[in-house]
Amino acid sequence: MFRTEMMDINMGPQHPATHGVLRLKLLLDGETVTDTDVIIGYLHRGVEKLCETKNYHMIEPYTDRLDYVAAMYENLGYVETVEKLMGVKVPERAEYIRVITAELQRIASHLVWLGTHALDIGAMTVFFYCFREREIILDLFEAFCGARLTYNAYRIGGLPWDLPPGWTDRARHFVKIFPERQKEYDTLLTKNRIWLGRTKGVGILRAEDAIDFGVTGPCLRSAGVDYDLRKAHPYSVYDRFQFDVPVTYNCDTYDRYLIRMEEMRQSTRIVEQALDHLPAGEVMAKVPKRIKPPAGEVYHTVEGPRGELGFYIVSQGEDKPYRMRFRSPSFVNLQALPHMIRGSLVADVVAVIGTLDIVLGDVDR
Amino acid sequence: MIFGNLLRKFLLLELWQGMWVTLKNQFRPHITVEYPRETLEFAPRFRGVPRLRRDPQTGEELCISCLLCEAICPTECISIVSEKKADGKGKDLVSFTINYERCCFCGLCVDPCPTKPITAIYMSHDYEFAGYDRDVYVADRRELVDGLPVKLYDR
Ligand code: SF4
Ligand code: SF4
Repeated sequence: MFRTEMMDINMGPQHPATHGVLRLKLLLDGETVTDTDVIIGYLHRGVEKLCETKNYHMIEPYTDRLDYVAAMYENLGYVETVEKLMGVKVPERAEYIRVITAELQRIASHLVWLGTHALDIGAMTVFFYCFREREIILDLFEAFCGARLTYNAYRIGGLPWDLPPGWTDRARHFVKIFPERQKEYDTLLTKNRIWLGRTKGVGILRAEDAIDFGVTGPCLRSAGVDYDLRKAHPYSVYDRFQFDVPVTYNCDTYDRYLIRMEEMRQSTRIVEQALDHLPAGEVMAKVPKRIKPPAGEVYHTVEGPRGELGFYIVSQGEDKPYRMRFRSPSFVNLQALPHMIRGSLVADVVAVIGTLDIVLGDVDR
Repeated sequence: MIFGNLLRKFLLLELWQGMWVTLKNQFRPHITVEYPRETLEFAPRFRGVPRLRRDPQTGEELCISCLLCEAICPTECISIVSEKKADGKGKDLVSFTINYERCCFCGLCVDPCPTKPITAIYMSHDYEFAGYDRDVYVADRRELVDGLPVKLYDR
């Protein structure tokens, strides 16, 4: 009498909850997701190939456009990779300023994640508050480097400019008020029963699967794996700061929420310490105008807000890279999506996409 | 303990706390502005479209046609034509165009400009660009110095 059938549902590429142009083909059994096809490539710009035709200075603006929500990290990873290849020692002050801006960027990126994630699930208010606080950080970045999204803020060998006058005070003001504001998000979400209902036990990703998929960042740490590149392979001056790496063991969306919230607190701590110990001096090392790293290859990673952000450069001693490769955390983390939503309800798909915190510019490159 | 939890559940305590936060925020000062009527202050380093400038004191052309900005621009949007000066020393600028359609506002062109401390090319604070035609975005030398002509549309 009744006949049930599997149904293919197309979600995206233009969908408010996919955070960009991501297309999912969901195979549904009623409300339950039985299989997912993730279709990417709508934002593919061929940056890796493009970089082979540009010299080392010119590549940095292109890295901005990969993960545009956390462009500071793309800049940081890229310049550090080239510096590693060339063996350049960056002045202390530049390193500290890089850490400060990068950690502020982590907060800004997590605020975007929190706002949009909450918006997807149905809590609209948080979105406005998050963007309000992010605005303060963007103003700081605008004062520092002149741009609000695609910063191009570092140069190989240091920084193009020192901090403008009064910047440290403004940054200090931000780290002072931010914990208070974060408590407000906490009040709105952490114990809210709707939030708990929508996130607890949703999108489980166990440690062994996470490691198999190569998932990094908060998604890995929510599965109980204590792996943070800032601690595991300290780069820049991260070994000088006191901070904790939050780890939880329930592997679900709610835990990833808690981890990112805690990471914002820890980032505030790092910024505070870095501001306290900001050394004086130069911000630019002596590097030749024409950058020609020696022949060889290098892989360098930084811990971005989304996970391990890696850059691989093969140089043949010319002023252009022979091969450039980005290991973008969003791309790798997205692989786990079909696994995480198998057997869950359609409504949870949105929550899981949100908790993976993907940026499609980073996925497609 | 269980009783407390039950009471919490029953009274929807966490929802009321959330409401209280929202209420508190109603009385915070606004941070948005009504854009066309009000605009925000820019930071001095704000990177709008790149433009050319003359020496503010003497009014002379600063650019010496060294082509460094053209060479570093990642989107290849600057094009400069120059010719040797009659006396053989230095070059005269014939034309200097920036294609704003391609420019990505990276600011790299300013770094190598040798006419320091006032660089001939600089990142201006102009950002309002809307046009019906693609041609308007190819700015020649005069427009780069004086700014693109602004057309105001009245209702
Ligand atoms: S800002 Fe960047 S893209 Fe624009 S003209 Fe200068 S170098 Fe080229
Ligand atoms: S770098 Fe400066 S001086 Fe040289 S061509 Fe460009 S604008 Fe002119």
